[in-house]
Amino acid sequence: MTEIVLKTTDLTKKYQNKAVVDGLNLEIRRGEVFGLLGPNGAGKSTTMNMICSLVRPTAGTVELFGKNPWKDKKEVIHKVGYIPQELAIHGNLKAWENVELFTSLYGIKGDTLKKAVADSLEYVGLAERRQEFAKNFSGGMKRRLNIACAIGHKPELLIFDEPTVGIDPQSRNFILEKIKESNKNGATVIYTSHYMEEVEAICTRIAIMDNGKIIACGTSSELKKLVTNGSEDITLEEVFLTLTGKKLRDYAE
Amino acid sequence: MIRYLIKNNFKLMLRNKWNLIILVLGPVLIIMALSAAFAELMKSYEGVDEFSAGYRVSKDFVMYEHMDEIKEAGNKSGIDLYEYPEGKPEEIIANNKLAGFVEFTGDSYVLYKSGDYEVEGLTLEYFVSRIMDEGLRGVLQGIAAETGGIDAMGSVSEVNMLPEEELPYMPAVDSTDYYGIVYIVYFCWCGMVCATGVLSNEKKYGIGKKFQVSIQSELKLYISRLLPTVSVVTVGMGIATGTTILLYGIHWGNALLSALVVFMMILAGVSFGLMLYYLSDNMAITVIVLFTVVWFMGFFGGSFETYMYSSSSDTLKQLSPLYHGNRALVELSCMGHSSYVNSAVIYSLIITFGCSVVSVVAGKLRRRGRA
Repeated sequence: MTEIVLKTTDLTKKYQNKAVVDGLNLEIRRGEVFGLLGPNGAGKSTTMNMICSLVRPTAGTVELFGKNPWKDKKEVIHKVGYIPQELAIHGNLKAWENVELFTSLYGIKGDTLKKAVADSLEYVGLAERRQEFAKNFSGGMKRRLNIACAIGHKPELLIFDEPTVGIDPQSRNFILEKIKESNKNGATVIYTSHYMEEVEAICTRIAIMDNGKIIACGTSSELKKLVTNGSEDITLEEVFLTLTGKKLRDYAE
Repeated sequence: MIRYLIKNNFKLMLRNKWNLIILVLGPVLIIMALSAAFAELMKSYEGVDEFSAGYRVSKDFVMYEHMDEIKEAGNKSGIDLYEYPEGKPEEIIANNKLAGFVEFTGDSYVLYKSGDYEVEGLTLEYFVSRIMDEGLRGVLQGIAAETGGIDAMGSVSEVNMLPEEELPYMPAVDSTDYYGIVYIVYFCWCGMVCATGVLSNEKKYGIGKKFQVSIQSELKLYISRLLPTVSVVTVGMGIATGTTILLYGIHWGNALLSALVVFMMILAGVSFGLMLYYLSDNMAITVIVLFTVVWFMGFFGGSFETYMYSSSSDTLKQLSPLYHGNRALVELSCMGHSSYVNSAVIYSLIITFGCSVVSVVAGKLRRRGRA
């Protein structure tokens, strides 16, 4: 049986008595690329934040690599690479300085750090631009640098929160290819996006969330069969709209 | 390893051109404006000719036996003191064209000033207040020595030396030196603005989240903000000080002690500013509150009105850390030594430690609160 990398049990987060995440039960195993889909306000980001120990659950538990990320943070958090939706980089730092700064947060130093910085920049195709300031980069390059900043410490679990927002198809393709490559190299991936075709292309398993709950979970074909009585002649987006409805969601996550 | 964090935060702050503009041009321009604006007032004080004042001393005056030294100190400062055992002070002033008259009794004094010699009256007042401050301290040391409280107050030999020493009266300071010094202190206290760019970006771009998803403790993250900010402000203040010395010829007196006091002011100012940010989690509120508090501390501490002639209460002056810094540095400039160096350093250390503890605790609580 493959090791469980992430397990949530009845995970709940309430704000002013309103459950944003409502009794979420998830199990993600080593080697999976797990997609988390949901309309705005579904609770995806809150779930991600609870997994990364940025938000403490109101109820329920999170286990990362079999440990509680709140109690045993130092033991497990270095196994996690978090790529937030925001471009969490400093424009006034050069590419290599950004990677150095964020990689060093995990206790890496000296020659190991230098190598990690070089490898990370190479991995995202920015080795040639390492001396340039991040503020001069295009949107796609900033996204790639954002990823480089999160992988320098060689995490076993990569959490991507909408990493392809606002970038050109080439950059998006590059990022997706790199995620697949990371997965091949042994990393487990959790991926959220609004782009269904991306999720379908890279995820081995997909969960659809709405109103803080998982309303469907399985492979792409399993989800399609779920709404078509066995047929796969439907897009993932149609599955998503069938399950979550077509009503506009004007929530702020 | 927070050294990389410290190094990169330092680079970020140095690369923000506004930081150096504010830290260097700010004091240079303000010192130029204020020293010019108050030059006439302080010049009249500085350039005051010798003048005469009267005094009367009762035998119970605590420094009765040191009147000769007091007169000598006055003489060195251009004040001729004449004793008038009888008569009404107002009449003595009018009849003898005196700048003022002092009645010394017990452990206090009453000062009468002539309306015709306003600047000389202020000089006399400052002279007498300094004599009383320093002289009373010496007398108390003497009493402590005689009653056995020597450990706390100093050795007997030091106490016995007092009458032989020149009484420490501060010579006149001109407006350029005064404002050249106090505005460096003022900007030290506003130094936290250097960190605003970095801290705002951390919040705006979710960089703070990445810090939280790391193995770094709140204390380490705090230090990684404090040290580079202090370093950048120190660099900025160093350049500003050097520039004002070159441009305006400001005298700092004891360079080493002055540098220590300025550094302590920077440390305290940055810690205080960071604490405001940790408490409010809002840069606009932090900057507004910081500038307001520093303005008030400067108001009572001699940043606008010279502390020598300030009408503020002594308690409020003593509460202001800027007063301790200003006074220590101005006295170091004029006399080469100051009894306020200790209080300026200790006060700054207490503020630094207190604000740092509050910041780290607030950071932890906020993390838990968000959680």
